[in-house]
Amino acid sequence: MLLSNIRNDFPALFRTINGNRLVYLDSAASSLKPKQVVEKISSFYLNNYSNVHRAVHTLSSESTSMMEEARNILASFLNAKNEEIIFTSGTTMSINLIVESFIRYGFLKENDLVLISAVEHHANFVPWVRLSKIHGFRVEFVRPSGRFGTLEIDDFLNFKNLNPKIVSITGHSNVTGQEIEIENLKEIFPESILIVDGAQLIPHEKIDVKKLGIDFLVFSAHKMLGPSGVGLLYGREEYLEAMEPFLYGGEMIDKVSFDNVTFNELPYKFEAGTPNIAGIVGFGEAIKYLEKIGFDEIKKHIYDLTFYALDKMRKIDGLEIYGPLDERHLGIVSFNLEGIHPHDLSHLLDEKFGVAIRSGHHCAQPLMSILKSESKLSVFPNGTNRASFYVYNTYEDIDILVEGIKKIKEWFDVQ
Amino acid sequence: MYNELIIDYSRLKKYKGKIDGAISQEGKNISCGDEITLYIKVENEKVVDAKFEGVGCAISQASANLMIENIIGKSLDEIKEIIENVNLMVKGNEFNREKLGPISELSEIKNYPMRIKCFLLSWKTLNLIIKKIS
Repeated sequence: MLLSNIRNDFPALFRTINGNRLVYLDSAASSLKPKQVVEKISSFYLNNYSNVHRAVHTLSSESTSMMEEARNILASFLNAKNEEIIFTSGTTMSINLIVESFIRYGFLKENDLVLISAVEHHANFVPWVRLSKIHGFRVEFVRPSGRFGTLEIDDFLNFKNLNPKIVSITGHSNVTGQEIEIENLKEIFPESILIVDGAQLIPHEKIDVKKLGIDFLVFSAHKMLGPSGVGLLYGREEYLEAMEPFLYGGEMIDKVSFDNVTFNELPYKFEAGTPNIAGIVGFGEAIKYLEKIGFDEIKKHIYDLTFYALDKMRKIDGLEIYGPLDERHLGIVSFNLEGIHPHDLSHLLDEKFGVAIRSGHHCAQPLMSILKSESKLSVFPNGTNRASFYVYNTYEDIDILVEGIKKIKEWFDVQ
Repeated sequence: MYNELIIDYSRLKKYKGKIDGAISQEGKNISCGDEITLYIKVENEKVVDAKFEGVGCAISQASANLMIENIIGKSLDEIKEIIENVNLMVKGNEFNREKLGPISELSEIKNYPMRIKCFLLSWKTLNLIIKKIS
């Protein structure tokens, strides 16, 4: 499939915003949805929908098999077993599930060490830090020594001798756009349980969890053309078998009596309550859509756009780009412009040029303080602008962004 | 939204700074992380001086400067009425233009729901001070 042809699948791209065509550069927050995914969900709701697993009637049976078909798609996508694919509401819930379940089955005890990094999204930061205060385990932070939040291999090597029980790291920073080499993490910490936050990584990277030796991988459907409210937790079977469920309720039960409970088999043990059935069906369809384009093609496209953008943006006076400036930088460009607050810049880009970017702290406040300490700006605005690129973006989108930034800068300078 | 009034007031320096011995209050916009500290000096139920510290977007800075300019010399009761009218204005409701003076020229903010928090940062902080001393 040619990437130039897929724009027709995204009607939102043909909207106008104040008379300008929409330039959508906020896929790192959430991607647009292609017709194929929306039509799949719509058709499922209109024709096949009922609750899954329990009833014996036709609709229930169709719903169950469509949901389980999505599980097959995700399992083969990751080279995992079906038992290891747990559907959640998204990355945030997946991480909270892992932390809480580890604690409940007594795996995380006083003085155990968990290693995370200072560039994590709050979803892979707060659950560890907060629960460490209650349960007494320790959390250490890998601090980026590279340019503006860039994690270097040495930063991880500093912790090698501490032999952490768990290493939980983002595979791709949602601020600096840095892709982290998972192979390196596994090599440095062969004994640790490795959890990868794949929220920004998996939308452009097909991963073989067995080959890479990842113990847990979490990501969300909505950042990769799927619906919001559904995500995934891959966990190595031996851990999932041992872990205590996070949510108790329907579906996850084997037997309940007045004084005892036994749990359903994997993966249902971790899927209490009626799941987001249509969302899961849509998730499967999104993976099919992306696989049809091909992940090598997707990644190459995003690389090309990123380097084109970095090259053009570096030439703008007073523009400070965060993260690495080499091949580790992919898909996400965070930046600030001297003298203009990110909220003002992103507001004006939308209003005058139809360009949608994100502004703020991107749920990574610890990283913001690191960027601030290295910033050469006269005032660091506690946040950044962030443009992010996905399958449907074009070079022209970046031209419009860059022209917009230049015009707004001129306008602010003159005023 | 970005008219001359916003740009001019966002760059005003005269209300920036600290007032020793004044009542102070911190305010925070959690959606962007911007913070301000507001200093208000009250004598005989009247605001005699006010200043603020902190960085933020043009809308939050202009709003803070315009607010301070319009509360100096006013009684606490008058200020309460102004706050009420500001809240009506941002929600797009009828409000008393006379009471708000030049602040009413920013009534367009009601069309930008994502920016109302920026505009209200200083006003919410002021409201905390008024509650503290009433």
